[in-house]
Amino acid sequence: MNNSYVGKVSAGEVITHIFLILLVAFVILPILFMLVASFMDAKQILAMPFKWIPSKDYFTSSTRTYFTNFIKAIRGNNNNNIFFTAMKNSLIVAITCSVTTVFFSALCGYGLAKFRFKGRNFVFMSIMSTMMIPFEAIMIPLYMVSKSVGIMNTLPGLIIPFAISAFGVFQMRQYLLTFPSEYLDASRVDGLGEFNIFLRIVLPNSTPVIATLGILSFRNQWDNLLWPMLCAQAEKLKTLPLYISSFAEEKQTDEGALMACAFIASIPMFILFFTLSKYFLGGAAVFESRKG
Amino acid sequence: MKKVLVAMLLVLAVLAPIFAQGAEEKKATFDKDAPVTIVFWTHEDTSRNVLEDQYLDEFRALHPNVTIEVARFAAEPLRQGIQTSYAAGNGPTVWNLPIENAHAYIEAGLVAPVDYEVVGFKNADDMRKHYADGMIDAVYVDGDFYGLPLELTNWCIFVNKEVFRDAGLDPEKDYPKTWEEMVEVSKKIVKRDGDIITRRGFDFRYSYSLIYFVPMVEQLGGALTEKDGCVNAEAWIKALTFMKNWGPSGENLGNSTLTAPRKLFNKANGDVAMANTGLYQEARIAAENPNFYNSGEWMVVPFPVFEGGKDIAAKYYGHYYHVNAEATEAQQYWGWELIKYFLLTPGHAEEYLTKVGLIQPLESLMNGDVYKSMPYSDVFKADFARATITYYGKNAAAIQTQIDTAINNVMLQGVDPADAYKTLQANVLELLND
Amino acid sequence: MKSKVKTYSIERKQARYGFAFTIPCLLFFAMFSFYPIINAFITSLTDRKAVGRTWSFVGFDNYVYLFTKSNGGFSMLNSMKATGLFTLECFIPMVVIALVLSVLIMQLRKPGQKKFFELCYYIPAVLSSVVAATIWRIMFQPTGLINQLSNTLMFTSGKDYKWLTDNNMLVASTVIVYFWKHMGYFTILFITGLASIPPTIYEAAIVDGSSRWHTFWKITLPLLKPTVMLVSIMSMLQCLKTFSTQYMFVQGGTARKPIDVITMNIYYTGIRTGGYLGRASAMSIILFVIMLLLTVFQFKAQKGGEDVEY
Repeated sequence: MNNSYVGKVSAGEVITHIFLILLVAFVILPILFMLVASFMDAKQILAMPFKWIPSKDYFTSSTRTYFTNFIKAIRGNNNNNIFFTAMKNSLIVAITCSVTTVFFSALCGYGLAKFRFKGRNFVFMSIMSTMMIPFEAIMIPLYMVSKSVGIMNTLPGLIIPFAISAFGVFQMRQYLLTFPSEYLDASRVDGLGEFNIFLRIVLPNSTPVIATLGILSFRNQWDNLLWPMLCAQAEKLKTLPLYISSFAEEKQTDEGALMACAFIASIPMFILFFTLSKYFLGGAAVFESRKG
Repeated sequence: MKKVLVAMLLVLAVLAPIFAQGAEEKKATFDKDAPVTIVFWTHEDTSRNVLEDQYLDEFRALHPNVTIEVARFAAEPLRQGIQTSYAAGNGPTVWNLPIENAHAYIEAGLVAPVDYEVVGFKNADDMRKHYADGMIDAVYVDGDFYGLPLELTNWCIFVNKEVFRDAGLDPEKDYPKTWEEMVEVSKKIVKRDGDIITRRGFDFRYSYSLIYFVPMVEQLGGALTEKDGCVNAEAWIKALTFMKNWGPSGENLGNSTLTAPRKLFNKANGDVAMANTGLYQEARIAAENPNFYNSGEWMVVPFPVFEGGKDIAAKYYGHYYHVNAEATEAQQYWGWELIKYFLLTPGHAEEYLTKVGLIQPLESLMNGDVYKSMPYSDVFKADFARATITYYGKNAAAIQTQIDTAINNVMLQGVDPADAYKTLQANVLELLND
Repeated sequence: MKSKVKTYSIERKQARYGFAFTIPCLLFFAMFSFYPIINAFITSLTDRKAVGRTWSFVGFDNYVYLFTKSNGGFSMLNSMKATGLFTLECFIPMVVIALVLSVLIMQLRKPGQKKFFELCYYIPAVLSSVVAATIWRIMFQPTGLINQLSNTLMFTSGKDYKWLTDNNMLVASTVIVYFWKHMGYFTILFITGLASIPPTIYEAAIVDGSSRWHTFWKITLPLLKPTVMLVSIMSMLQCLKTFSTQYMFVQGGTARKPIDVITMNIYYTGIRTGGYLGRASAMSIILFVIMLLLTVFQFKAQKGGEDVEY
């Protein structure tokens, strides 16, 4: 076998590249499909053979344009025009959950990592044990709790059950275990209160894990379908997955509109991903709980 | 020490929600001019929503003290929303669901009996006289009616004449009158690329077996009853064999994975020649594809019957408007007032018919001129006469799923019809004895 | 460690702060995790239904029912089988291919290429699962793209590969969608694991005359063992919890039974057909127990794998 430290292109390398590129094709194919299908009439999407370029030949009514699908997607079922409301709701919920998760997970993780108190392990194990509770197991009692606390069918109701994540606590604790205690001691000697130490020393110096946790939380909330399905009855409260799902139910045969809907609903996440890709990809680094 | 604290906190946290429940509101003594809010939930239907929005505005102008919160949902979210909101104790005031879903609420006492005085009848018997024979029995329990019918619908066969002619058939003469003919006609119309079907003659509404399949079984002498499940194995197996023959392992004329014909029919793209759907479809064709509607290139024919079988048409089903029995007295009163305004104000039934294609089974409407003037209403009326209401008894929805599954199994999974029947009957009996 | 000169009371004060910091989380989880699961357990001992105001305690009847009757055709045993089948068909290829991919990507010499492939493979993870399932459902239609591609690749024509209609193909289709969506994420995990192995080890191995292949099997893989264990178990647990993919497929009209995973059965039994809250709660508790056992196994296995020395 060739040694990779020698500057020749080996057969192994060529094969490697081919394999990698093939997999890229597999990964990109559906995305490309979604993009072009957004402009197509349903008839073209399911035509045999499939033609990749959207073409007027398949248009079934004279009023269609290439953008009809997008207009339909935004207008929604029965022209209720709640697409942007749904996007706004999704953004608010995801961002808020992301912020609260980061803050409280950091707070709790800090307490667990850097302080000794009786029952510390018990608290940690209790919180970890909640990770094993699948959402479907508790969705109905959760519904009742939300109702009695009065947050059912409200925006807070969508946010609160997901405001903190046990996984986040775990991440923060692992990371903070390796946080140099000397800084903390020095700050205490300087007279800073504990909470201030948390805000001014710990948080700013943990940006990699905070950013990653924040982004993962955002993504998880963005994707949440089941809880909004139970909680958000009012139309103006719907989130994007809910919107897409009910759009799909109504427009089952209008695949073009469906793909257009999927496309524009994915744009925020695409923007986030391509601008902050290092935090998405670096997520694993933090997971491994290596220092810094 | 800390452990005890933690434990106490947990106990408190567990108990807190119980204390958090507010005290129940006492029912107010009833003042008809006092402001009141009622909640109205219904399913999405473009033409009906437009009509009812107009009625709602008129109602609000007549009764300014009544605030009406309206929410419209797709079919399944509506069913689920009503279920979960009732579970949480705040179901909507006025709502509708297909009767097989709504019946459970009547049985559980969650729906109020009709307030005859408000609605304008003397009593239950008087109400019965106003409706066509037997059509509101579905909401009649122990001497009272529990809802007002918004629509009773049956399905006939819509035919696209152009596709027929393209296949060399004459739609007026060659439309199928029996299921056997249906197979022959579809064979002539079907186009394929290898195994993959690109044009169909007819295809079934696969997730509604209670409506289209049970009557086929009844034509062969079988039945579905709440007491004994799927009665007459031979009839059921024969019907299942017919479906197996319809699918990919037989004549390959269609199956449940292809797009539902009624959704393709309006487009008149040549994808499908026939669809099994109701009178309301006419309003949708007119809205979606007025050229097609006005061209006269479509017609409606009766539901086919097996050769030598009983003359039974597809089942009809219904939606009724109900009032929440757990709402306050004032809310219930205004709920019935709203329903009365929608359905029974003179002229409204005709508007529902012409603008939305919905038939209230009122005697006056079904014998009136407006009904007669709807295209092919005579076909629908004749089919009503030879049909019965769908099964709405215990676990109707789950039973329908099981029948759908049995059909799927024989058509697509290669299961033998006799075996499929055995499994089906076992599951249905279990559901009925639950 | 604080020197013994510091007084005891400062430590106690700090301990209180530490505890105080954890209180918000504790309260939160008490209300939104512990209380609901206890409530679910209690409900599982009743015959409570979604529609209806009266219910009574029935002890363990629900559990007996789930393991002996067919739950209207969608039995718990079938769900466990469907979930198990899906999990096995999914997480094993996912781990293997993610591992292979990560090794291949690490071989690339230009860092720009590395980043390109990492980005590409990660993109599906960024889409919502509702979107992913919808796209694939359309592509899997009889006249859709995947059938056409399959016909081209397999040199057949007009053959319907029945992606959504045949029961076994349906499971495979859901596996493909899930795999597509999550493969990138696990590849990145492995890449990180690989990146943490100091290059000096490789240099030493080459100096010692080890071939690339030999290096991989005898050095890289053993060093990667903790990561492989972690990723395997993580992906397995996630596969057990799958819901959206199967749900969107069934919503789109496919059969339910072959892909009736436990989470979906809970949802359907409790919220849809029949609204059997007591029975659905029993299913939830069973799922909880299964996951509990497997997670305990995860911790034990991880502890064992943590002692990997360079």
